[in-house]
Amino acid sequence: MKKVLLAVIVLLCVSVVFSATVEIDMWFHSGRGDERNVIQDQVKRFNEMQDLVHVNAVVLPEGSYNEQVQAAALANDLPDLLDLDGPYMTNYAWARFLRPLDDYMSDELRNDLLSSIIKQGTYQGQLYALGTFDSGLAIWANRNYLEEVGARIPTSVEDAWTKEEFMTILADLKALPEIDYPLDLMFANGPGEWWAYGFSPIFQAFGADLINRDDFMSADGALNGPEAVEAAEWFQSLIQDGYVNLSPANDAAVLEGRAAMAWVGHWYYNAMKDELGDDAVLIPMPKLGDPDSLYGGQATGMGSWCWGITNSSENPYATWLFLRFIMRPEEIVNMTDANGAVPARKSASLLSEAYKEGGPLSLYVEQAGKIAVERPVTPAYPILSLEFTKALQDITNGGDIQDSLDRAVEEIDWDIEDNAGYPMD
Amino acid sequence: MVTALVKKRRKALFVFILPGLILLTIFIILPFFMSFGLSFTNQRILSRIPTKFIGLRNYERLFRDDLFFTGLKNNMVFALIVVPLQTMLALGMAMVVNKNLKGVKIFRTAYFMPTVTTMVVVSVVWSFMYNPQGIINNFMQSITFGQWETIDFLKNSKWAFPSIMLMSIWQGAGFQMLIFLAGLQEIPKMLYEAAIIDGANKWKQFLHITLPQLRNTTAFVLISTTILSLKLFDQIKVMTNGGPSNSTYTVILHLYNSGFTKQKVGYASAMTVVFFLIVLAISILQRSVLKEQREV
Amino acid sequence: MTTQRSFKRVKIIDKTVGYILLILLALFFLFPLIYMITTSLNSDERDIVSKMGSIEAFIPTEVSLKNYFGDPNAEDPNLTTNKGVTGRMNFGRFMFNSVFIVTCTVLGGLLINSMLAFGLARFNFKGRVFFVSLIVALMIIPFEAIAIPLLWLVNSLGWMDSYQVQIIPFMANPFYIFLFYQFFIQFPKALEEAALIDGAGWFKIYWKVALPLSKPIMSSVAILHFLMQWGFFLWPLMVTRGEEFRPLPVAMQQFFGQYPRDWGDIMAFTSMMTIPVLILFIILQGQFVNSAKSSGIK
Repeated sequence: MKKVLLAVIVLLCVSVVFSATVEIDMWFHSGRGDERNVIQDQVKRFNEMQDLVHVNAVVLPEGSYNEQVQAAALANDLPDLLDLDGPYMTNYAWARFLRPLDDYMSDELRNDLLSSIIKQGTYQGQLYALGTFDSGLAIWANRNYLEEVGARIPTSVEDAWTKEEFMTILADLKALPEIDYPLDLMFANGPGEWWAYGFSPIFQAFGADLINRDDFMSADGALNGPEAVEAAEWFQSLIQDGYVNLSPANDAAVLEGRAAMAWVGHWYYNAMKDELGDDAVLIPMPKLGDPDSLYGGQATGMGSWCWGITNSSENPYATWLFLRFIMRPEEIVNMTDANGAVPARKSASLLSEAYKEGGPLSLYVEQAGKIAVERPVTPAYPILSLEFTKALQDITNGGDIQDSLDRAVEEIDWDIEDNAGYPMD
Repeated sequence: MVTALVKKRRKALFVFILPGLILLTIFIILPFFMSFGLSFTNQRILSRIPTKFIGLRNYERLFRDDLFFTGLKNNMVFALIVVPLQTMLALGMAMVVNKNLKGVKIFRTAYFMPTVTTMVVVSVVWSFMYNPQGIINNFMQSITFGQWETIDFLKNSKWAFPSIMLMSIWQGAGFQMLIFLAGLQEIPKMLYEAAIIDGANKWKQFLHITLPQLRNTTAFVLISTTILSLKLFDQIKVMTNGGPSNSTYTVILHLYNSGFTKQKVGYASAMTVVFFLIVLAISILQRSVLKEQREV
Repeated sequence: MTTQRSFKRVKIIDKTVGYILLILLALFFLFPLIYMITTSLNSDERDIVSKMGSIEAFIPTEVSLKNYFGDPNAEDPNLTTNKGVTGRMNFGRFMFNSVFIVTCTVLGGLLINSMLAFGLARFNFKGRVFFVSLIVALMIIPFEAIAIPLLWLVNSLGWMDSYQVQIIPFMANPFYIFLFYQFFIQFPKALEEAALIDGAGWFKIYWKVALPLSKPIMSSVAILHFLMQWGFFLWPLMVTRGEEFRPLPVAMQQFFGQYPRDWGDIMAFTSMMTIPVLILFIILQGQFVNSAKSSGIK
């Protein structure tokens, strides 16, 4: 009798162990409502369709997401899976918080991913993060105003406006009575990653950069050289000549007809579509610089939020199962339909109305292949972003350009030195 | 008999002091000492490199950090202007609100509203007001008949700091008013009645009764407001983030940027220690000047 | 007789001028609150934004509670902008958390801080001067400076993501200890001596004599401490995760970080957030009675 009882108990324990659902904690930032809804829906369906893994999703407010993640890292309290803004991922990878994903990925997946996604998530040869979408940065414009001033509408990346054309168009637009400030640089969003993401491509187009990418050890020459100064001067002139409002009340100037063009990312697509319908047209990044310069005179931003599995996760494979789920082409399209971003997989682009060949957003894909420059993949990125934004803000407020840039370089170099160059041993 | 009383006193003293002392020690003093210890290391929030002892290097760096000194200078200017102005305003308000006028309760509530409203709302509303298209510019335009040149207050390096000062005085006056009010309530009415019989006018009453009786309260208000203004952070972070051109940069903002944003915990700790010593010196000076009145 | 009449006239002018000043001052102090409420009642977001800078900002075009509770009659009630604060988040929970946490902190604080101050003020012991100076010194330490060590500390206590982590570290507050101290040291010795002769214990003296006499200061401290903790953002951000223990300031970030900023919702949120403090203030206001009771001391 005792033996039978023992056997039953053992069997029960064993079956419990094997049928126990694995609990996974996941954090993500609360971006636009649509993105959030998609993720929550994906979590729900994933949980419902199988019993092996149960995902507990926690939404954290975006504004202070980084601080919360840092505090959690400090307290060794990170979840199994979390999303991070692309360029910040490197810092966490370097600090040993993320687990490499290479072993989990199939070749099929790897080949199907956009090269920018792989570039963004790779540090020192290993892939630490995967995004379900990449970003797109270009100019959303109101076709009516452009036609009114006789501006031509570029048909491809190569066909983009030159700097001179761009300036003429701006001047003409400013003369129109309905226009307050022709170009909206989205300053209403406040400082934050937007400045680095949206405006460092301007510097790159002029031939400057945030840091020397040969060894990532110093920003001297890249951020404060003559090309950078030229870029900053041009940026400052946009404001001083009255083409851009430094203190806009909101970021809906184009939607409300007070501006003609918005220098903005993919997330503006749905609003443009709803408000302007067919009058919304996507213009590629202008050729602001010399074709012989560092990046060919034309650049745009890329990179976006991506997912990483933490080193402290006790169930990395189970976590991977969820990540693999949301990387399915149909799931990717669910997300990109909601937020207007570039699908991370080529197969997904084919499924997307907006992104397939000839679709209204296919320009982003073209830019991604030709002129997109990734934000520097280095653990020093948070400092680069911070100092660049600070310098640019001082410049827009009328500060001395060379001084501001030199100061930024000083801080950046100091930080890298402080961290002994971010060694990998 | 005496020993029993003494023992009773000692025990009572312990009972009163112990709970607060324990909490203060664990949650303020202890972390502060840890901070002190960290100031000699190169601790970062997230790092691959193990933390190591680096001696006085953080302190050396600090003395070459012109942002720190800019912040310090701004804090001093802020304190020197805001503390006296805000205190006088608060005292005036408290006295008015302490009277038995009809409807004084409503005014009391109204004057306290800025303090009650969260900093976010306050910052947002004042940002709107300071906007080039905002109320203040419009108002100045109308009273100067168009002679006023529009100023983007928060983005102008000359006007940003005064703008924040105005807002801070506006917001903080209620806080102090409440404390002064409590102090005024403690003054025995008899003193005033005796003075009136003696023929003293309002001004004399103020000088010889109100002020002396408020001595301890005033001491508290001045000391705490000075300390608070040296710790200036919230408004700056939300409205100007230290700009434009560092005209509104403060020490605590620098501390936050260094420790949290740039993850330099060790360096920020060194800054904490130095800041602490400076403000301590100022407080000690203040306290010796504003000698408090003790009965026991 | 002319002197009497002109005396009266002066008094009336004096009073009128006084009232005018009071009202102007009141308006000066009230306008952000008025702005907050009128904006929160304005259901037309476009309108809010376009009128932001002018005096019209105080006059909403469409008045409704849509920003608070959502608009069930809208074409698309599930559209985020039509959901209102209560529709977009679990506001009730966050409000409860904030009220619970801050009330506990303040009540516990009132007791602990006044006790400590009482001990310092009424007992002349060796090292007392040092002690008081220590309290003043502690006022200087900014929270940002000890945030990270404190995080390590509470983490090792296993307190992360809880109520106690937001309450216990903040009950003892050097500001209020010092404030109580400044008050308690004014009380004449005669007060205690009388009670001691009657055989009363020290705690009774504290509870039945000192505290009742300190009603105004207790009220002030209650309000101010409450305010200080009510808007506290950095710490809850660092120690809470999901919604269970999250207080209002962290919840508000949810609106603030998202673009486009919905000002109507933000103002509705902050209006709702301001109400408990207002209620507290109005209740405690009754303590500020300009009575002759304080003459009982002397």
